[in-house]
Amino acid sequence: MKVEETKVKARTPEQALAIIRSVVDVVPDAGIVLGSGITALQDLVEPHSFSFHQVFGVEPTVAGHAGTITIGKLPENEAVTLVVFRGRYHVYEGHDWDVVTLPTRTLIEWGVKELILTNASGGINPLFKVGDLMVMTGFRDLISEKWRGGIIEALQTFPKECRNELSEKIFVNGARLAQIDKEFWPLKNGIYAGFTGPSYETLAEVEMVRRMGCDNVAMSTVPELLTAAGSPMKAAAVSVITNVWNEDTVITGHEEVLEASKGASKRLDKLLRYMLSGRR
Amino acid sequence: MDWSRAKWFDFTGTIKEGQFSRFGNEVIEILRQSPPPKLAIVLDTAFGWQHKTPAMVRDHINLSGYNPLIGPNHPIGERFPVIQGIYNADDAERLALETVVVAGLKHGRRLSSDDAEFMHVLGADCYCFNVVPTMLVAAHAGCKVLAIVGPDNHTWQAEIAAKINELSSCAR
Repeated sequence: MKVEETKVKARTPEQALAIIRSVVDVVPDAGIVLGSGITALQDLVEPHSFSFHQVFGVEPTVAGHAGTITIGKLPENEAVTLVVFRGRYHVYEGHDWDVVTLPTRTLIEWGVKELILTNASGGINPLFKVGDLMVMTGFRDLISEKWRGGIIEALQTFPKECRNELSEKIFVNGARLAQIDKEFWPLKNGIYAGFTGPSYETLAEVEMVRRMGCDNVAMSTVPELLTAAGSPMKAAAVSVITNVWNEDTVITGHEEVLEASKGASKRLDKLLRYMLSGRR
Repeated sequence: MDWSRAKWFDFTGTIKEGQFSRFGNEVIEILRQSPPPKLAIVLDTAFGWQHKTPAMVRDHINLSGYNPLIGPNHPIGERFPVIQGIYNADDAERLALETVVVAGLKHGRRLSSDDAEFMHVLGADCYCFNVVPTMLVAAHAGCKVLAIVGPDNHTWQAEIAAKINELSSCAR
């Protein structure tokens, strides 16, 4: 089995870092993880790129998740060095928790101070629209290994908060940007429900997490946030709303959704550059 | 409903056709055979409710912490299958059955009365062990599901099976 092989070959954060450092010896100011279909920060200066497989020893299996790591300087301010992950490892691919959290653990080991996570998600807050960006203020963990026996206990706990200086900084910069740039939609905020997937949710499941006060749903980001919590690295997450679950909504064409996601990527790209270049 | 390639999956140990003690590889293999079935007719035992009669499943909440599609994607279906509209409950009225939302639990797990109450708050009427994973594999393989759940006894299956067979022969 393919998964068995990958389990054996996974490296440690120290080993992954040694591979990166043999090519480029810097400590990035921030790490960015770009979720499926999200394009941003494509023109880093003096870039060094690696594949996930090269660094971590494990191949990501999802089409649309390139699985590349790029280290380079931000064109708007070359004093700022970033590491950008395009893609991630997911629990639904069959990867062990150790593999899913390996990129985050590597960033912590590296001494990176800030991590901005992004994901494509389904909106369940009826006030959201396709293409919105939502800063996560909290999340429901339905993914962790400890829920493999059932998620009832997970649903009986309060959602975890993930508000911190970094998420506040994203919010403040988003508000400033919305004032000076008409094309930048004001940021939303909310609570994210993280399911394992890989199937999408049933209506009954969507209704359940809506009743529990969740605003969107997707299949990632929770492992990274849990791993970063309690480490010196600050982590925050921004979700792109790619569709809105609503029984009354007529499903629009897939192309409209793609177009809206593209618009959201552009806004996210603007936000990241604005915020990171000023180190505001 | 497409009855021409229907398969029975009886997890209650009652009817002769398609008996399975529990969801597992055997079920997965049938749902992924070539050509795959178009309709899975599933009978399962339900717990956590007071019903004395069977009911037809119209939707589910997966509370099991398990999804049989985790792992490398099988090429029979999409990586991220859409699973809305898979349960066919259109014939509930003709079969004189109520419709219910079931919760899927890990095999053999029993809920305390407090947890069962919580499950009702989450939006499920009862829980069972086999309907949900069977549906997920069926949906992934492009197969619809007609699922009926009933109390933990052998009083209702034969009548339901006869009614479903009658429906299917009328439709043909």
